[in-house]
Amino acid sequence: MDCRKLWALVVTFFVMGMMASADSTAQSVSQSITKESTLEQVLKRKVLRVGMSTFVPWAMKDKTGKLIGFEIDVARRLAADMGVDVEFVPTNWSGIIPALLVGKFDVIIGGMGITPSRNLKVNFTIPYDYTGMSMVAHKKMADGFDSLDDFNKPSVVIAARMGSTPVDAAKKYMPKATLRLFNDESQVFQELINGRVHAVVSSAPTPAFQALKYPDRLFLPLDETFTKEPIGFAVRKGDPDTLNYFNNWIRVVTAEGWLSERKQYWFEGNDWKDKVQ
Amino acid sequence: MALGYIAYRIIFGMGYHWQWHVIPQYIVRYDAERRQWIPNLLLEGLIATFRLSIWATLMAIGIGTVMGLFRVTRRPFLRMVSRGYVELVRNLPPLVLIFISYYFISSQIMSHFDINAWAKSRPDGWQEVMAFFLASPKHLSAFLSAVATLAVLEGAYITEIVRAGIESVHWGQREAAYAQGFTRGQTMRHIIFPQALPQILPPLSGQLISTIKDSAIVSVISIQELTFQGMELMSATYLTFEIWITITVMYLLLTFSCSLAVQYIEAAVKRRHGN
Repeated sequence: MDCRKLWALVVTFFVMGMMASADSTAQSVSQSITKESTLEQVLKRKVLRVGMSTFVPWAMKDKTGKLIGFEIDVARRLAADMGVDVEFVPTNWSGIIPALLVGKFDVIIGGMGITPSRNLKVNFTIPYDYTGMSMVAHKKMADGFDSLDDFNKPSVVIAARMGSTPVDAAKKYMPKATLRLFNDESQVFQELINGRVHAVVSSAPTPAFQALKYPDRLFLPLDETFTKEPIGFAVRKGDPDTLNYFNNWIRVVTAEGWLSERKQYWFEGNDWKDKVQ
Repeated sequence: MALGYIAYRIIFGMGYHWQWHVIPQYIVRYDAERRQWIPNLLLEGLIATFRLSIWATLMAIGIGTVMGLFRVTRRPFLRMVSRGYVELVRNLPPLVLIFISYYFISSQIMSHFDINAWAKSRPDGWQEVMAFFLASPKHLSAFLSAVATLAVLEGAYITEIVRAGIESVHWGQREAAYAQGFTRGQTMRHIIFPQALPQILPPLSGQLISTIKDSAIVSVISIQELTFQGMELMSATYLTFEIWITITVMYLLLTFSCSLAVQYIEAAVKRRHGN
């Protein structure tokens, strides 16, 4: 065997060895992604931990302290389809994304609107629902207002929940108005009922519910929602398996018609009202 | 007068729809399945507040005693450690401390031991005991991290209480003990500490009341105590005023009965020590 042949043999072995090791690295990376995915951990733990925040009629506690609502139905069905138990982690809305990132729960199912800025921090599933911003105003404070332009003045004060998409919508559509932010939804509406702000921006249908509840004080200045927002589950980044599972689960239940049936029950009917009060 | 005016404004001026009749069911409710009355959201929250405060105070007493002794020791390093701890905690807003501990410390430390899973794997009897004294398995990890944070917070104040108690003992006592041939440890254990204890006890029990009040701030990290339960309930029902007033009364009942107990303890201590 001459020197050149031997050399070629050595090079061939070396290259093959490299390829084999690269291949096994790729394999072990994909294995570890699978093993560390939230999906695997949920199945191992047999519990799906869901981060949510009280928001009528998405999620709320009924008279017996049990959680009910549209999101709650979605999360319960999701867990049942995965064959695991569901555990709800009620969390303040303003801190819900950091809490997901540090692993206080596996997924946010809380009517979270998909926005580019949120999407930089978390991954979203495909939308399972759409909502829009709607506005309810105080009869005395906002007398005669009937368009977004009426509210877009420096003298107008608008209240919204801190860290929520209504804040972005108010800033975008009424940049001149003054914003006042609160930590939860009840404080926002209390401010309006007390007549200290002109209007509240919130996801439909809550403003309509409030206007019905206080017909002598509140009214709906706009006939329709003024934005359309996709709603998705939020999960931690770098986890393709979990995202894939949730996306396809949403496709399945949408195709079944189950989602729209649930949505109708919670958003268009009143059957659930006496469970809460 | 002023209170009367405020009440008048709230009742008549705001046109608020009072719905007091729905409140009692959130405190206790009748469970048709088990055929008995059981605590509902608000009372559960109050019980959680009480559990949280008791455990936090007990842990804080441990931290405070050790740090308080460090405060008066001869060793500069230990003195520095406890001084640093006290100054750091007392000069930070509690809210900041709680967020730091929730997002950084507890999620890093607690995630290494899966306490919730461990608790869930215990036999049912154990789980019930734990649920009674601490929190149900699924809330245990959050509960423990809240207890630890509150304990660190209150421990700083207890450190100062312990230090003040020890320093209130006349220096002559220490010298007399040394003259009798007691070592430093023995002096502390047999001479100084027993005399400091009557000075320490009353403010210590007052600190429990303080802890109950401070525990409301852990609602920001979603611990299901009274304030958090109340706020959740307000989001669900929009009964802002009724629920805040109910919560106020519930806190007041708890802290006032504690403060009566503290008065009783103080009187008992005074009687026993003759002044």
